[in-house]
Amino acid sequence: MIATNVRRLALYLMVAFAGVSASLVWWQVVEAPQLATRGDNPEVLAARRTLLRGTIFDASGQVLASSALVNGLSVRTYADTAFTHVIGYASHRFGTTGVEAAFEDLLVGQTDPNPLRDLIRDVLDRQPQPRDLTLTIDRRLQDFAAAQLGGNPGAVVALDPISGEVLAMVSTPTFDATPISGDPDQAQGPMDALRGDAAEPLLPRARQGQYVPGSILKVLTTAAALDAGVITPETTFPDQPQQEVDGFVVDGFTIREHDLGSVQPALWALSEALQVSSNIYFAHVGLELGGDIFLEYARRFGFCDSLEVGPANRALGVVASYLTSPVEAECGPFEGDVQLASTGFGQGDAVVTPVQMALLASAIAGGGVMPHPYVVSDVRAHSETGERSETVIDSFGSRGGTRVISTETAAATRAAMVDAVNGDLGRLFAGQADVTLYGISGGDLAAGKTGTAQLGGGGAPHSWFIGFAPGQEGATPEIAVAVLVERGGSGSGLAAPIGGRIMAEWLRLNEEG
Amino acid sequence: MRITWRGAELRLLLPILAAVPLGFAITNIALTNTLDPGPLQLAIGFVALFGAAHVALVFFGHRGDQLILPAAGAMGGLGLIMLNRLPQDLAGTSAFGIQLGMAETQLLWFAVGLVIMVGVAVGLRDDGVLRHYKYSWAAIGIGLLAATLLLGYEVNGARLWIDLGPVSVQPGEPLKIVLVIFIAAYLAETRTLLTSASVRIGPVHIPPLPYFLPMLVLFGAVMLIVVRLNDLGTALLFFGTFLTMLFVATGRRSYVLIGLLLFIAGAFVAYRLFGHVQDRVDVWWDPFADPLGRGFQPVRALYALGRGGLFGEGLGQGLVTLGTGLTIPYVHTDFIFTAIAEELGLLGAFALLGFAVVFVFRGLRIAALARDDFGALLAVGLTASLGLQTLIIIGGNTKLIPLTGITLPFVSYGGSSVVASFAMIGLLLSISHRSATGSDTGQTSS
Repeated sequence: MIATNVRRLALYLMVAFAGVSASLVWWQVVEAPQLATRGDNPEVLAARRTLLRGTIFDASGQVLASSALVNGLSVRTYADTAFTHVIGYASHRFGTTGVEAAFEDLLVGQTDPNPLRDLIRDVLDRQPQPRDLTLTIDRRLQDFAAAQLGGNPGAVVALDPISGEVLAMVSTPTFDATPISGDPDQAQGPMDALRGDAAEPLLPRARQGQYVPGSILKVLTTAAALDAGVITPETTFPDQPQQEVDGFVVDGFTIREHDLGSVQPALWALSEALQVSSNIYFAHVGLELGGDIFLEYARRFGFCDSLEVGPANRALGVVASYLTSPVEAECGPFEGDVQLASTGFGQGDAVVTPVQMALLASAIAGGGVMPHPYVVSDVRAHSETGERSETVIDSFGSRGGTRVISTETAAATRAAMVDAVNGDLGRLFAGQADVTLYGISGGDLAAGKTGTAQLGGGGAPHSWFIGFAPGQEGATPEIAVAVLVERGGSGSGLAAPIGGRIMAEWLRLNEEG
Repeated sequence: MRITWRGAELRLLLPILAAVPLGFAITNIALTNTLDPGPLQLAIGFVALFGAAHVALVFFGHRGDQLILPAAGAMGGLGLIMLNRLPQDLAGTSAFGIQLGMAETQLLWFAVGLVIMVGVAVGLRDDGVLRHYKYSWAAIGIGLLAATLLLGYEVNGARLWIDLGPVSVQPGEPLKIVLVIFIAAYLAETRTLLTSASVRIGPVHIPPLPYFLPMLVLFGAVMLIVVRLNDLGTALLFFGTFLTMLFVATGRRSYVLIGLLLFIAGAFVAYRLFGHVQDRVDVWWDPFADPLGRGFQPVRALYALGRGGLFGEGLGQGLVTLGTGLTIPYVHTDFIFTAIAEELGLLGAFALLGFAVVFVFRGLRIAALARDDFGALLAVGLTASLGLQTLIIIGGNTKLIPLTGITLPFVSYGGSSVVASFAMIGLLLSISHRSATGSDTGQTSS
């Protein structure tokens, strides 16, 4: 009897040993190649201590990041903290992030993008050929946007709405990556300080921050409802004027209008409703639209899944935006009409990233085609002088875009957004985004929408603006922008003027050439 | 007493005794880049010790299992090669004015262990002393634990060590042995009762509590103290060994199931109560979340496994240190298996696992052939203890289960572990010898 049990035990132990063997195969064979190239691999970190990295230039050829050998150690210097959350850092202690990580192999000059062996042989046998990178971002606009945010925590994302080039991508507060990218023994202190900072300077808010959208989401509601044929620009809701006063009762819950100031309630169509940012109107639109179609359009615009800035294997990651409660990379269905109606005007449970909102604005500006954003425009031979080499090895152009709504829908939404900034009613709410206030003449108008995202509990709301310019019919938009100021108060007060100034600055820079 | 040739053991030992010195030589050549086999005292010492142990068994007419010693020798040899290769400032002995490196110290413990092994294997002709005094053994065990609680000092959050002048001792190691002896003796006596008197509820057999009580009380006390000492690896090992012995004694899978449920509940409570358990589990779940902080050790170990790949970097060519620091902290104890897997690759790691499997299966064979229940259960307990210990620490190295700070038997650096492991082989050999001779007095039967 014992002998029988021993035999059974032998079988169980055999299974256990097989399990351990399988886990060994996993790490030593299956996962080994991935492990070999990870940025925090100690061998990679060690090999890179002596490797000169290529220079990173802005669109106009100014040096943003450069390396030098100091006592045999490769030391990285960053010229402009406004770029920290785009370029990232290349630390001997903490690995690489941002563009430094996405273009690691090219920057250090590996011939084969993958195996670590190649890198080590490079170090031993021959001088590796580092490559230089050019960003799509012009330093003047990036610095301008950073200055506009000032000391406020927040983010600005500006895109060329047609090509998808990133024109500016700023997250604040930022930090100087130079101290953590030099001598690894000196890097721990500065990093600890950054990690311990309650203002979270390490967070790239433009890509990794998820925020309640507030009224900027009405642009999505509008585009979805127009495209699905649920409303037209002339649609009105007869009960609305009275509900503006009494509130709109959905499932026993009363939705109230925000403070309209001196504006008197009326039977508004789409343009006026967007101009005054009527919560009641867009609650009706959300309910008309229905949860499933609303979600379907949100997905088309890129919601519910992580996004990428750049081509697939060389991209900066963007966390997903959600219309309903965030469930792992998937938007679950709406829980009921209260949530659906609230989401229609941008509250509910929706959370979005600044990049996603800039893409939404771009899709409207681009006639219904949403571009694929990218931040590195070319790879060049390494230049020792600080002058950008003329030898372009590889370039990354526009990868076109994806049609998300019809041209007609885009045109109607665009017209409503132009009114929201420039119309008689809109001027009262988003007038500060008007580019003519900032020295732009010649008939160019801004289109846009403000957002004042209530966060529940106490404290100031998030201040939002999304828009593009020029927005008037017949003009080709040159810039689409999303501006977020954390706890910045009303969208019209803070984010709208920042957005207007940035758009005006870019139009001016383009004009100058 | 008559000389008994142990041909299989000799044939298996010879290649090992040739390969281990070769390993020292290869390591030295790789490290120094000169065709120099390096100092020979380790090679000579290793060959002499295992040769002498074999000769002693032959001389005393030992008729026990012939595969166990070669398996242990192979594991010990691999460990010694690696300990000689690792940076020598990790550990070592300096006492009575003598400076010894890690490998030399380990070899010294091999000597002590082998002497005890031979002594137990040939000296223990009657297991009555083990069986009849089970409560005395239990008392010794409790005494060992109490001593640790009172006199022990702390290393890495666990209080496991007692300082005895020149050496420090881990009482957990001898405790392992006396606990197995006690449980084997108790189960051998009561196993029929435990099986027949169980209450059946549906498909589940509930063990008859009164018969279990003395054992459970003692075992519970031991577990409680072990947990109090923050040595959860040992607690897991004891519990696993206990369940294994209970299963073999009763054949009841439901007992094991109940035990496992109890363990999961206990683990959950420990997770909630102890910060360092929580840390270990969180780090295990996602070491890459903080690869340069809390996850430093396991992440570096996984990278080492990846570097090793299929064929390994070669002896002496792994990445043990980098810049000024070790790539894996505690590589000589917790992660010696990973160091071997890096330098000898998946194939070398499989070879080491193979030796452990041989060991375990021979141990179970000894159990199956044992003359009485006590011998069988003792052999199961000893084998399960060494086998589970191997599985737990290697599983911890490969992120299969959370890492616990227990040693890899015969391989990790550490005197207490080495001596206890060889003493356990001695017990296994003596059981095997008795079943081979068919008597308690060691007469040869024809």
